[in-house]
Amino acid sequence: MTMKSPKLTRRGLIGAAGGLTVTTLAAPAYMRQAFAATQITVADPGGPFGPAFRKAFYDPFEKETGNKVVNVAREAEPTAQFKAMVDTKSYIWDVCTLTLSARDILAKQGLLEPIGFTIADTPDLMPEAISQHWLGTDVYSTVFAYRTDRMKEAPKTWADFFNVEKFPGRRSLRKNPIDTLEQALLADGVPLDKLYPLDVDRAFKKLNSIKQHIAVWWTGGAQTTQMLQSGEVDMISGWNARFQSAIDGGTPAKIVWNQGLYSIEGWSIPKGCPKADVARAFIKFCSDPARQALFTEGLAYGPTNLSAYKTIAEKRAVDLPTSPVNLKQMAIADENWWAANRSAVTEKFNSWILS
Amino acid sequence: MTAQAIKRVFVNPLWLAIPGILFLLVFFVYPVCSLLLLSVTDPDTGQWAVKSYTRILNTDVYLRVLGITFRIAAQTACLSLIIAYPLAYWVASLPERVRNKALLLIIIPFWTSYLVKTFAWMIMLGRMGVINSILIGAELVKEPLPLLHNEFGVLVGMVHTMVPLAVMTMLPVMTSIDRRLISAAQTLGASPSKAFWLVYFKLSLPGVTAGGLLVFISSLGFFIVPAFLGGRQQTMLAQLIITQVSELLNWSFAGALSVMMLVTTLTAVFFYDLIFGISSIAGKEGSESSHSKIRIFGLQILEFISTAANILSQLSRVILGGYVTERLLAVFAWLIIGFLIMPTLLVIPIGFTKSEFLEFPPPGYSLRWFETYFNSALWLTATSRSFIVAFLAACLATAFGAGTALALAKSSSRWAGFIFGFFLAPMIVPRIVIAVGMFYLFARIGLVASNAGLVIGHTVLSLPFTVVTIGAILKTYDMRLDQAASTLGANRVRTLIHITLPVIKGGLIAAFLFAFITSFDELTVAIFISGGLATTLPKQMWDDMILQLNPTLAAVSTVVLIVVTLLLLIAERFRKNTIS
Repeated sequence: MTMKSPKLTRRGLIGAAGGLTVTTLAAPAYMRQAFAATQITVADPGGPFGPAFRKAFYDPFEKETGNKVVNVAREAEPTAQFKAMVDTKSYIWDVCTLTLSARDILAKQGLLEPIGFTIADTPDLMPEAISQHWLGTDVYSTVFAYRTDRMKEAPKTWADFFNVEKFPGRRSLRKNPIDTLEQALLADGVPLDKLYPLDVDRAFKKLNSIKQHIAVWWTGGAQTTQMLQSGEVDMISGWNARFQSAIDGGTPAKIVWNQGLYSIEGWSIPKGCPKADVARAFIKFCSDPARQALFTEGLAYGPTNLSAYKTIAEKRAVDLPTSPVNLKQMAIADENWWAANRSAVTEKFNSWILS
Repeated sequence: MTAQAIKRVFVNPLWLAIPGILFLLVFFVYPVCSLLLLSVTDPDTGQWAVKSYTRILNTDVYLRVLGITFRIAAQTACLSLIIAYPLAYWVASLPERVRNKALLLIIIPFWTSYLVKTFAWMIMLGRMGVINSILIGAELVKEPLPLLHNEFGVLVGMVHTMVPLAVMTMLPVMTSIDRRLISAAQTLGASPSKAFWLVYFKLSLPGVTAGGLLVFISSLGFFIVPAFLGGRQQTMLAQLIITQVSELLNWSFAGALSVMMLVTTLTAVFFYDLIFGISSIAGKEGSESSHSKIRIFGLQILEFISTAANILSQLSRVILGGYVTERLLAVFAWLIIGFLIMPTLLVIPIGFTKSEFLEFPPPGYSLRWFETYFNSALWLTATSRSFIVAFLAACLATAFGAGTALALAKSSSRWAGFIFGFFLAPMIVPRIVIAVGMFYLFARIGLVASNAGLVIGHTVLSLPFTVVTIGAILKTYDMRLDQAASTLGANRVRTLIHITLPVIKGGLIAAFLFAFITSFDELTVAIFISGGLATTLPKQMWDDMILQLNPTLAAVSTVVLIVVTLLLLIAERFRKNTIS
């Protein structure tokens, strides 16, 4: 049990009904010992992930091990649920996808179970895609897209995105400092490999120059697809797969991979999970390149095991963040910097955007 | 204690409120307080600390967002009342058979999930949206109008959600007003508008003040509408609290922000009560508070409004002539009904689209999204679970709410105002705070991911609506009817069943519908309590729309709309048959 969890959880709640909790909630642990094959509940991001992961991971795992996998959709940022789950020991999920930032927040509070293998066991994995408590399964990238029917000249860099004279058009950025500050610095000429630590003041100065020209500050990923597709804006920052689904649906738009920032989502196990052994086996199973290649058929996310590209068609590979041609134009977003500064920078950003 | 004293304690009408109070203490106060206590706890050391509060004061951003939140909520409440009052008045004046049909139209927007409605507004108000396309096509404007991603967009979305709520709160009060009083006033020489303002309007005030309060407080908690329809400046406090809870995991600071919101809201409710006397539905009419200066000031405001409106109505009579003026109300009412059902009308054809996107007009038609829905066990169980949970939660909330409202109406205790405020609290506390607190409680008693947990959670959230709605109708209830019944030999139970309940039936039905809708459209508690296993319909829609927005949402909305309309029509037929 973590020392950092607040008073509420330790004393007020668990303490008050300790005996009851242990007897009722520990039951699944005994059941696991009694039966070899068990059922694990996996929380994935929902939507198109469900069927894609079922085909690539869940069904093959069931077939190979005899364990059943039930998948449910998790919230966009399930950290609060994760914490509540571990604090109260009611493990409604055995495995859950986390972003890097969620992983770091939860790992720091001691809420994650080790996954039990290292990069040495999976040599072709991207080195950023594995840690003691987490295995990255898919790579997404923060890029920008533009409407090819609206832009006379094709923007190629973030400097172009910020250049309102040369590239007139309606623009949209995310109403969140994460990625937006990086984009401002890239536009201001900071090289991709020298972004961190972020020069926050310089970023806000650059953002000032474009503030009045941002038609929409978006808040949710679904919004970016809708706005690109409907033509609400001509240029928009966002996640590659959201734009890809608009493009696949016939929207005349193009993704600019240059100067993109990628990040990784992957599996973790809640601390103290009674089915951790099966969960670990499942996670190990998901590091396999052939399995990862399967999900890219339905999802425009990059596999973390780069050997997967041996079995991915060339035509699909160009739409994926980790294909060699795209990956070399991008850098990984630094979660450590954000973990240390997110709260203060978010406050500053909220203040800036209101004024 | 003498037998007399014991009897006095037990016949005290406040006993009727006890079940509701106990329910809230266990399932609302305890979990929420446990969480709010975190705001005075240092997240690192576990020691007592006021760090989170000094942080709020160290920057102006939180107070500014609080200001924006209150401004938008106040604007929403005013606009909703201005729009809803004439509509409710018109509906109340219709013969009962027609009235129920008109009411069906007005509550249609309720049955479209607010997630879907918000996207419908994006499609309608956008730069390339339906309205701008029509205006440009008709060459009325050259450039698209900025209707979206600004305060206007937010107000459209919020007022649209709140007008049915305001109408439903005012209507039971209006229908219980004896219209012959107006004729009587006119017989005695009052002009029609004077008779309206001094007799009818005054009698309908309990409904107006209750509606204003419900709309205002509900509006404070909005987060999806400002996020999707608002612009740079429209950030509301609930959005910041959710970020702290679910992204930054700083529950201490989230607790502090919630406390700030709670305290300012309670202060606002206190002043609202002083001015408009809302807790007078707790039966204190005629007590000394109604003679206080502020109360008189409140009456003067209303007096001023009525005078101004009086002049306006005479002006329109002069300019437009009597014939048009008499029909203005009906025209206005139909325009508003059009505004209310427009997003729903837009959603229906989108459900039949063959495109992958929510776009209007659809590029072609197909049944593929209905096939997706009917072939998905997940969607179907989520739909049936939502109906069952909402029905049970509505029954519970109406029962508790009726007990409480009766207790408050009959009691002259000074506790009544306090109890009333207590029952409003679940509406004021941000839902995310309630949801997290409940999760901790439910996890210990095995209610997580269970239907019972959902029913309890939704009952807590619906209680304020039922108490206020039933309270407003009881305010117009003549307590002398009870005395008459008792004089004629009826005991309390008989009086309740044969006199009180039939008379306040309209309020009970409205309360039940509110509670049903609150549960049916509830997302935050469902996300936490269901854990993805016991999925409700809004939760399933949310899961679907986090990653991809596809027209399944529109197809589901269409199915729900048809099912609900059929159910309501059957209920209406059944009710008529039992009467005849």
